[in-house]
Amino acid sequence: VHGEGIEAAGYPRLAGLNAGYIKKQLQDLARELPLAGVVIESVAKDYSKTPRIYSDLTVFSPGIRHDAIMSPIAKQLSNTDMHNLALYFASLPYTAKPVAADYQVLERGQDLALRGKAEYGLPACVSCHAPDGEGFGADFPPLAGQPAIYIVNQINKWQQGQRDNDNLGLMKAVADQLTDADKLNAAAYYANRSLIVKGQ
Amino acid sequence: MKRLVILLLLGLSGISFAADTPLSQTEVYSTNYDARANIPTSLTREKAIRQIPAINPGEYFVPPDVGDIPTSKYGDTVKLGRNIFIDTQHYAKRYVGNGLNCSNCHLQEGRKAYAAPLWAAYPMYPAFRNKTRDVVTFEARVQDCFRYSMNGIAPTLDSPEIKAITSYAQWLSTGAPFNKELPGRGFARLGKPRDPTPVNGEKLYKESCASCHGWDGQGQKFSNRDGYMFPPLWGKDSFNHGAGMSTVKSCAQFSKANMPLGKGWTMNDMEAWDICTYIWLQDRPWDPRFGWFFNIFAPPTGGN
Repeated sequence: VHGEGIEAAGYPRLAGLNAGYIKKQLQDLARELPLAGVVIESVAKDYSKTPRIYSDLTVFSPGIRHDAIMSPIAKQLSNTDMHNLALYFASLPYTAKPVAADYQVLERGQDLALRGKAEYGLPACVSCHAPDGEGFGADFPPLAGQPAIYIVNQINKWQQGQRDNDNLGLMKAVADQLTDADKLNAAAYYANRSLIVKGQ
Repeated sequence: MKRLVILLLLGLSGISFAADTPLSQTEVYSTNYDARANIPTSLTREKAIRQIPAINPGEYFVPPDVGDIPTSKYGDTVKLGRNIFIDTQHYAKRYVGNGLNCSNCHLQEGRKAYAAPLWAAYPMYPAFRNKTRDVVTFEARVQDCFRYSMNGIAPTLDSPEIKAITSYAQWLSTGAPFNKELPGRGFARLGKPRDPTPVNGEKLYKESCASCHGWDGQGQKFSNRDGYMFPPLWGKDSFNHGAGMSTVKSCAQFSKANMPLGKGWTMNDMEAWDICTYIWLQDRPWDPRFGWFFNIFAPPTGGN
């Protein structure tokens, strides 16, 4: 295989992804999960009392992504391995094979992908994942050319708390608002897109 | 220096006082410290803590679907208006002086409540505007968008661009009550607990805005095509000082309901004020209403 993933099993393609994105995912997969049942209570801010320092004290979660297959593998990789793997897979060219889907499913998926749900304040996929779903930078991975099963699985993981490594929690906020039909429609739409990545 | 030596010695001998004298969390962290960013982000939890109102179906006006644009000459004008609206850089290039599109602020094709939706604006015109101290029509209002927010040249009132945008706004308002203030019109309501500080604003900007809009606020361009993936907030490709978004209050009202994208209503009023004060302090094109002398020696204020 040349990093194109396995469609039927829902294994994602790695070829042509952003190197920074791949590296971060490997690091997050290798990270230990926090103890179950630990809850950190949130305290309301009072800016009139602390006008200057609250931002200095802000600590971000490094990001956690759990996968039954990949997490044990990622734990055995060194930082250098991750870096080199990321660069290698990012350099591979990739051409997506569009997957056929029902017309109505594609139409609904397109509506969600291009326009979102304005009446619920849900932004469109393209507003972060770039107009053709080709992804943008290390924070916004491509949707086009990924197996539909993979995309649905990942959104499920966000909803279930097994994945929490997105920039500013943006995808978490979006995933919370998606229905099961939304996931399937949008994933089918992006599996149906054609995409050519030349590598880097 | 003495302390440093002691610390070094301790380090070498492998002894640490960390276990003996643990820092009490209550001493280090203020009680006002918000652990929001510390916990795995959960929107529902966040919403419950901050008592953010959920958006219920039927609360806001729902404009017609794009697929329902009629196939007629009128429908073609509406489609052109929509194209101009979401891709101003291409369809109205000659009138635009920066890198923005209409839909960068009027989010989701001008449909999103509290992001100045067209369906709430169109039925309210002609209206009195404090900015011009006059009653303006919708067309004249759109001209001002081109002049200030797009930092460009206003299309004439009889131009196809103004006609198309007006048609699109009218079509989006299909079924909306006429001359009635709808919920979701304009931007969010905003309190002002204290005077804003750009010091906080800078930190907050770097924490939650910079990853998309850039550390220098210049937005991020596509690598494989023209234009901006994330719009610039200041600099030569942004709106000018005469734009509504250049007043700190409008910017804060917009940001509170819509930013970070998809996580609207998660920052509080003061955070929005602080960030927008920081943004307002940055360099951007001059207000075209003033001459160079007043622009340099008496630049427009941020308003409040």
